Amino acid sequence: MDEKTIREKLRAYITADLMRDPDYPLGDEEGIITGGMMDSFALAELAVFVENAFNVYIPDPDLTVAKMDTLNQIVARVMRDIK
Amino acid sequence: MTFNLTLIAIFTAGGFIYSLILPKSWRKWTLFIASILAVYALQPPLLIRNMDFILPTVTIFVTVFVWIATLPRQDNQLRITIQWRDLFTIAVLMLLITGLAMTRFLPSEWQLLTASRPPAPLDVFLALFPLALLIILVGGIQINQPRQKVLLSLMILVIIGVFIILKTDRLALAFSGWLREQTGRDATLANPLTDLNWLGFSYVAFRLIHVLRDRQTGKLPDVSLRDMLTYIIFFPSLTAGPIDRIERFQEDLVALPEMNGRDPSRIVIGSTRIVIGIFKKFVVADTLALFALTATNAGQVTYAGGMWVLLYGYAFRLFFDFSGYSDIAIGIGMLFGVQLPENFNRPYLKNSITSFWQSWHITLSNWVRFYIFSPLTRTMLRWKRKPSSDVIVGIGLVATMVIIGLWHGISFTFFIWGLWHATGLFIHKMWSDRTRKWYNQFKKKQGQLRLWNWAGIFITFHFVVVGWVWFVMPDVGSALSVLSKLAGVGF
Repeated sequence: MDEKTIREKLRAYITADLMRDPDYPLGDEEGIITGGMMDSFALAELAVFVENAFNVYIPDPDLTVAKMDTLNQIVARVMRDIK
Repeated sequence: MTFNLTLIAIFTAGGFIYSLILPKSWRKWTLFIASILAVYALQPPLLIRNMDFILPTVTIFVTVFVWIATLPRQDNQLRITIQWRDLFTIAVLMLLITGLAMTRFLPSEWQLLTASRPPAPLDVFLALFPLALLIILVGGIQINQPRQKVLLSLMILVIIGVFIILKTDRLALAFSGWLREQTGRDATLANPLTDLNWLGFSYVAFRLIHVLRDRQTGKLPDVSLRDMLTYIIFFPSLTAGPIDRIERFQEDLVALPEMNGRDPSRIVIGSTRIVIGIFKKFVVADTLALFALTATNAGQVTYAGGMWVLLYGYAFRLFFDFSGYSDIAIGIGMLFGVQLPENFNRPYLKNSITSFWQSWHITLSNWVRFYIFSPLTRTMLRWKRKPSSDVIVGIGLVATMVIIGLWHGISFTFFIWGLWHATGLFIHKMWSDRTRKWYNQFKKKQGQLRLWNWAGIFITFHFVVVGWVWFVMPDVGSALSVLSKLAGVGF
């Protein structure tokens, strides 16, 4: 799976399932949590989605607002461990 | 010796000598040796003979065993060998502890490094030597990765077990009575406060669980024994945190030999933090303590306004005491070149209970987020027939906040305090989920937003303050009495 596919899958999942606003034009550098579009409780859901969709396990201490606030950060974290 | 002004002065002076005079290559060993000595020096005296020497030693050796258990093992490489550097650390450790026992022969006014007269050095050596051999042997045991995971889980369970015994009044009392019987003392005088006051155990336990759990998930970096010990019992944060993370702490240790000891900004900022902390803890908090709510003065109040004054007094005393202590710990850490994480970020000025918990005792709330909330909700989310995500978050919040409550002491009032905050967090989550779109539009109206923010701060602050009643009162009856008096009834 290439980076572009991963990015679009994540964007679609975050807007539809976590933000519950599928039409929202989410930018790559936009603060999803700091911008008030989803809360940090949803990071666990995001982590389980990443496990199922890309087979990448993100350890719990990495599920922080500082590390997972923008689409770019999340994509980079997934790409780091993708096989 | 408790964390008093004399000790802060000694640590600060030590920080200056360390920064300005000490050769750079000695820094890591200095932190290690100072931390080992501080575990003994900070331990309060205990009434069971030698217990105030034994408990610090147990802290150190439990950490050594945790380090052994977390050494990286791969499937194709069953045996691990302890490196020379780590054997050297064990030797230094033996020497230091036996050396401490030697102070037994000094006049009692010179026995400053231990809480009471230490046991005989030969006894200490004879107890530690087999332990050190065992460590080296255990390190050589063939164990593969799945078995290591089981071992790590067992160690976590043992730590939790000890935690439960020490934090449950009845169990601690029974254990203290049992210890007294074993040492030939009067078991009817058993008292956990004077027998089992194990300095820093709550914080040490959480750091150890972090290390064990991170090995299980493959996140733990390779750490030498010396660095692991320094991390777990780092002297500025031993008594009451902050709870740092090992990978962050290790980065600071690696950078120590290159650190500019005479960097004025680090020394000025570190010293200022210590001064601010002393002012908050010893001037503001200690003054507020004169009229802060306690179990005793709660019964003497005759009108609602008076009860509110006591409660506000308690809320601010708690904040200034704890955040002042954290400032001192962070400041001392800075003088020694370790940037401990922040523990408070204006918690009483937050406009939601969620933001409050992101700014009150931050390192503890991060810990429970990483090791309780997140793994628990993830497990539930993986279930085939999973409940709705609201239910999952609700369960996660109750478990997390109740554990934060019980961490302070296993009692019904701390349980209710945890439940109180879980309820607040859950209601806030439900509310913000359902009003998010509206709020994002509302944010554009500056004037109304400011009013909204202040209302949020007022409500959040009072939610937290009323919650403190459960935190400070020793039983449900007296807590309910205070709550009714706050409402103007029950006088």
